[in-house]
Amino acid sequence: MLEYAAYALVLFSIGMYVVLDGYDLGVGMLSLAAGPERRREYGEIVATAWDANESWIILAGVVLWAGLPGAYSVVLPAVYLPLIGMLIAVILRGLGLEMHSAAGGYRRGWALLFGGASLAAAVCQGLVLGAVLSGPRQRGGIFTGGAFDWLTPYSALCALGLVVVYLLAGAAWLQDKTEGWSRPRARRAGRSLLAATAVVAVVLGLLLPGADPQETHLDEPVRAVLFWLAVAVAVAAGAVAWSGFGRAPDWRPFAAVATLITSGLLGLAVLTVPVVVPPGLTVHQVASPHSSQLFLVLGVGLSMPFVLAYNVYAWRSFRGKYTDPVEQALPPLRAVPRAVPAAPADSGTARTVLRRVLLVVLGILATALSQDVFGGVSEWIGPLGVAVLAAAALAAWIAGDRRDLRDGCFDVDAGAESTS
Amino acid sequence: MASSTVVELSRWQFAITAIFHMTFPALTVGLSVLLAVVYTAYVRTGNPLYLQIFRFWKKIFAVGFGLGVVAGTVMTFEFGLNWGTYAHAVGPVIGVTIGMEVITAFFLEAGFIGLMLYGDGRIRPRTMALASWMVAFGTLLSTTWILSANSWMQDPVGYRKTDGQFHATDWADILLNPAFAHRFPHMLLAVLISAAWFVGGISAWYLVKNRVHAQPMARRCLSIALGVLGVLMPIQLYVGDGTAVFMGQHQLPKLEAFEGNWKSDNNGYNLLVVPDTDKGENLLHVEVPYLGSVIAQDLSGKTTTPGLLQTPPDERPNMWTTFYGFRAMYFTALLMFGTAFAGVVLRLRRRLFDSPRFLKWMVWMTPAGIIAVTGGWIVAETGRQPWVVYGQLRTADAVSHLSAPEVATTLAGFVLLYVTLLAVWARYIVRTVKAGPEALPTGPASPDVSEALVA
Repeated sequence: MLEYAAYALVLFSIGMYVVLDGYDLGVGMLSLAAGPERRREYGEIVATAWDANESWIILAGVVLWAGLPGAYSVVLPAVYLPLIGMLIAVILRGLGLEMHSAAGGYRRGWALLFGGASLAAAVCQGLVLGAVLSGPRQRGGIFTGGAFDWLTPYSALCALGLVVVYLLAGAAWLQDKTEGWSRPRARRAGRSLLAATAVVAVVLGLLLPGADPQETHLDEPVRAVLFWLAVAVAVAAGAVAWSGFGRAPDWRPFAAVATLITSGLLGLAVLTVPVVVPPGLTVHQVASPHSSQLFLVLGVGLSMPFVLAYNVYAWRSFRGKYTDPVEQALPPLRAVPRAVPAAPADSGTARTVLRRVLLVVLGILATALSQDVFGGVSEWIGPLGVAVLAAAALAAWIAGDRRDLRDGCFDVDAGAESTS
Repeated sequence: MASSTVVELSRWQFAITAIFHMTFPALTVGLSVLLAVVYTAYVRTGNPLYLQIFRFWKKIFAVGFGLGVVAGTVMTFEFGLNWGTYAHAVGPVIGVTIGMEVITAFFLEAGFIGLMLYGDGRIRPRTMALASWMVAFGTLLSTTWILSANSWMQDPVGYRKTDGQFHATDWADILLNPAFAHRFPHMLLAVLISAAWFVGGISAWYLVKNRVHAQPMARRCLSIALGVLGVLMPIQLYVGDGTAVFMGQHQLPKLEAFEGNWKSDNNGYNLLVVPDTDKGENLLHVEVPYLGSVIAQDLSGKTTTPGLLQTPPDERPNMWTTFYGFRAMYFTALLMFGTAFAGVVLRLRRRLFDSPRFLKWMVWMTPAGIIAVTGGWIVAETGRQPWVVYGQLRTADAVSHLSAPEVATTLAGFVLLYVTLLAVWARYIVRTVKAGPEALPTGPASPDVSEALVA
């Protein structure tokens, strides 16, 4: 049973990723069609959350590795090129976003990179999904296919589908987060994306039996009931989103879209379980041994409430409409004239040389002591000597710091200010 | 089985992505601690200097952290992409460890970084301080898990092998493996030290250039950086020495390679070697006589260092990378130690902020920590070859079923991307540093500043 817990964790992480980073990528793609001012705002909306949202795909990856290593080691080589494409796109998305937000000039270039990389990442993820659904060639749990096996009409269609779904999530998120979209526009954009999602979902669903080499067992009653239940929930959520776009409350479309995506994913899982990698690699075959399952499920399961709690906390801190931060100017710092310590009196060349030679010898001795060279003489010399050295440095730091504070080293130098 | 070209290309790809990734945590772990400390100091004292420091270093931290995250994501997937057989074999052990890293540490960082970076002016100062500490705690916890995972590959324990897969038998042994006890403190100190050189070097630059507006910040940061270095450098040399001794006991070929000897009759210490791997001899070597014996704790100078010819040819690591990786780390460490020592002396002589030659030298030392960390990882990873899990799984047997052109394409893509990213990152740092911190308005500080903040 434990392997189903690991499987559920993978599904949960993928679901969280698709819902959360889905809107990030959607907002990114929508920013390509927006004006410069909106573009900046879109970037800032994503900037506060993308780190946390992107974490879910990393979690999905590692839980798949730890819990179902048989699936991880077959699927990843099978989608080598699109997955690396996605990783590179995600890097460029992060770069565009952070530089857009932090750098001075080149706003336009960074913003376009952010949008373009979001699109590329969505396309690559769709290709990966399509390739997995079409069933990678494998023998004995080892991938044996070719470099371009992932490129099929079905996977291309999946890429299109995922782009549309992400755009839908992005549009719903923007209605929640910005004042910018006029209501009629939000309704038009949201509804047409919703219609497109419905069309793609139906087409992909009908083509699935042809692409997927495994038999779907909709004749089993439990499976059929659960599947059609998921479809019904998705349709209902779609209807709520349809009426919610362009109408208060602004959070409703996103909640509905998130429900729609989740039920779609669950429907797919119901259809395929217990097969993880079609055709025929089941949860039982790919799972890691019991000791690892137990540790993973306990560790991740116990941490999850905390993770969700502080994610919700962070999300609540930025809830509501996006506003520009009001960074207060720094308050004034004390200005005092700083007395530059006079250069030590010239104590004669001989004494200076002697002092320097002594210091060098002392330094070499300290180095040798730290490396435990004298440990051969007696074992306690090393640890004790290092403790003495570190304590002496600490004492010098504290004493020096206090003295510098008194001397005004850490205040604005009133003397320098007036002369400059 | 996969061709040796695919193995070589995959190794290069992993090495490049890993080194690139490592340069960011080497800075951001320490910077996150600095940011948490200065923000707390600001909340407690109300001194605007600390807010200025926080806002300045936050800019560099933000971009570095973001790049570190995305570069780390690549590595998470590379284990399966290029090393499918490895992934299948060690998933039950390493997969779980890294899974715990993601759920406990990575999420902590990622969850609070948004608050920390974008919360200034939107959330309460105390919440900001809490978020900063959570990020710092997350980065430290992340270091712990990753070192546990990597150390297990250096010296695997607590497992049973079934059908080529490692099954965990004792999690306490696996997570707190013997190599971890040495390598974790070594790495923890290394990342703190690297950040300290970075902060100290940039602060020294402001003092060298005599930027009036940046002076208080530069002196404050230089004082903190050199204070940290003075305390940590002796400890790091001691811990590092312990790690090398441990490796000599548990992975002798690594020690043989990083000391640069073939025959086991050298009591000197090699400064420079030009090894001929096929013949098993050094074409050239420059050594300090007797020093090898002294370092091995035999002050009489008679102890010799073991050589690589003791190890069968198909179990030898590459001497070039292992030796020079070690020398890059060790020689930089000696420079760092000397500089930190000089810093303590200058502080005692009240000359810390007014010694132009020392400050100029400090500027040169800015990347010292990153160089040493990179060198150290090259020793750790190439010195373990030809094994990926030492003594148990060969790297050549760990690779996925891929074609050489496929891997060559992605390798080229990563090289191109990462070179560009490094250039953008370096340019960004230079620009941010040149622009300097936000100007501090001067004037008498209003006495009620701290009270206003406490309220």
